[in-house]
Amino acid sequence: MAFVRKYLPSQLIYYVVLTLYAALSVYPFLWMVSSSLKSNREVYRNKSLIPDELRLDILVDTWNELEFFRYFVNSAIISLATVLGIILIYSLAGYGFAKTQFWGRDKFFLFFLAVLLVPGVAVLIPLVQLVRALGLTGSNANQFSTYLALILPMVNGAGPFAIFFFRNFFRSLPNELKDAARVDGCSEWGIYFRIYLPLSTPVIATVGILNLIASWNAYILPSILINNDDWFTLPLKLRDLDLQAVIQWNVRMAGSVIMVVPIIILFILLQRYYIRGLTAGATKG
Amino acid sequence: MQPEGISVPAQAYHRPQHRLMNVLKKNVGFFFILPALLLFLIFGLYTVIFAVVLSFFRWNGFGDFSIFPPRCELPECAFVGLENFQNFLYDNPVQSQFFWRALQNNIIMAIAVTLGTILIALPLALALNRAVRGQSIYRTLMLLPMVTAGIAVFYVWSFIYEPDGSLNAILEAVGLEALQARQGWLGQPNTALGALIVVMIWGSVPFAMILYLAGLQTIDRDLFEAAAIDGANGFQVVWNIVWPLLRPITVIIVITNFNSVIQGYEQVYLMTNGGPAGYTEVVGLQIFNYGFGDQRQLGMASAMSWTLFVLAFAVALINLRFFRSQT
Repeated sequence: MAFVRKYLPSQLIYYVVLTLYAALSVYPFLWMVSSSLKSNREVYRNKSLIPDELRLDILVDTWNELEFFRYFVNSAIISLATVLGIILIYSLAGYGFAKTQFWGRDKFFLFFLAVLLVPGVAVLIPLVQLVRALGLTGSNANQFSTYLALILPMVNGAGPFAIFFFRNFFRSLPNELKDAARVDGCSEWGIYFRIYLPLSTPVIATVGILNLIASWNAYILPSILINNDDWFTLPLKLRDLDLQAVIQWNVRMAGSVIMVVPIIILFILLQRYYIRGLTAGATKG
Repeated sequence: MQPEGISVPAQAYHRPQHRLMNVLKKNVGFFFILPALLLFLIFGLYTVIFAVVLSFFRWNGFGDFSIFPPRCELPECAFVGLENFQNFLYDNPVQSQFFWRALQNNIIMAIAVTLGTILIALPLALALNRAVRGQSIYRTLMLLPMVTAGIAVFYVWSFIYEPDGSLNAILEAVGLEALQARQGWLGQPNTALGALIVVMIWGSVPFAMILYLAGLQTIDRDLFEAAAIDGANGFQVVWNIVWPLLRPITVIIVITNFNSVIQGYEQVYLMTNGGPAGYTEVVGLQIFNYGFGDQRQLGMASAMSWTLFVLAFAVALINLRFFRSQT
């Protein structure tokens, strides 16, 4: 009991600190939700998080009349395809680097890691040229016509980090699994698809969520590659609202809520796996 | 175990095989990285080579420039050697002044964000690790900035920082009017950079905190109890036990934070666009404007971006050295 008495006061301090910081973490999101339910004038006048008068019509109008549902679908297609591509391609690569032998394996790995340090902004100009040269744009060279033009560079951009995570995870799994399967006559692909891949759900969740967040929030690359309103993603549409003469804070926040809420829900549902994978990836490296 | 495995006759493995087959068998792992490698060759290596070559040219974006086949036509495009580098490093007074100022901002931001993140994330992780009740709820709430940090939340922060925004209102409510930023926190030269840094730290604390928490949970509880029996106080425990054991995680946090701040400009672009009067200008934003702004100098943009690469590379190298020598 001496132990408890000694540490009880500090326990209280922990909770105070945690509560304060949790409030700071959540406040911008709460303000976003609350402002999307106010009139624009009230956003400026009423600093409280509770609206005087609930205006659900703003969210509804933003979704319907500003056609946010369309940008939502665009965003969803691009993000999901990107994440799927990342998981497929880089879980394979991570496994290759961790559990197989081939000529120049470790050199290739270092090569991938070094690319992590090349600033994204350095390759923006070449990317635009490349996307045009590959014919991934429409007949008018300035018109974006296929999701691939955005998805492929985004998948590649996530490569080094994803490979690093998958490799670390697969290295933490025992080699005996592989040897046993081989004795039983399992092929190299079979070993990967039937044994190691099913074991890697935590790291798939981690890499998937990190990249889902990144591609969902991505602004710069889409803004350069997409200049056709029909193909806008949610962040681009949000930015587009700025072009109006008067900034409607409530409309802006309604759009933000539409953008942020789905990803928050997904994150809360999957965070258990996400944290488990992150722990395995970070501490066993 | 696998049906197709059983069907392979055992002697198949002992049959003398073609040499090519042997090479393929030995390097079968290569096929696992092949998709990643192909994508990388096209969208990674090609664009990097393009950017390197481009940094030795002057090109305004019109006309023709390509490296495969090599093509560059006057007057829109010309080979200039190291002129781009010379210009922004020292030759051109305007360009070099803007560049060094932006780089200075970059370095201030990178150091402040990295330090701030560690100084906040570690205590939070310690508190979270000790909090018996409600740990998962606190954790979920504190991870939210990681999920929401994008254009939507940058807008919220912009409003919080406005002249009649939430921050000034809170200061007024607690009687600290003297501390208010009357032209808005992002509008005043003396507060803009700091205000941006706060948002960056706010966004990067969750990831660092969760890594630290993961690290803390691997530390043997007996160590803490032994230290408590020996009469060590909280600070001694943290300084002598926790901090050294968490050093690998700190290295990861330093590298990723430094790297992302040095390379990053999206948040600055969306919140201040370098203003007021260039006080929050960063190198990435300058490169972006040379590349996609009104007066395009694509060669200059490319040349500038390699300084960022060198900086990020040096920091990563120093960190890894430091890390290796300590363990």
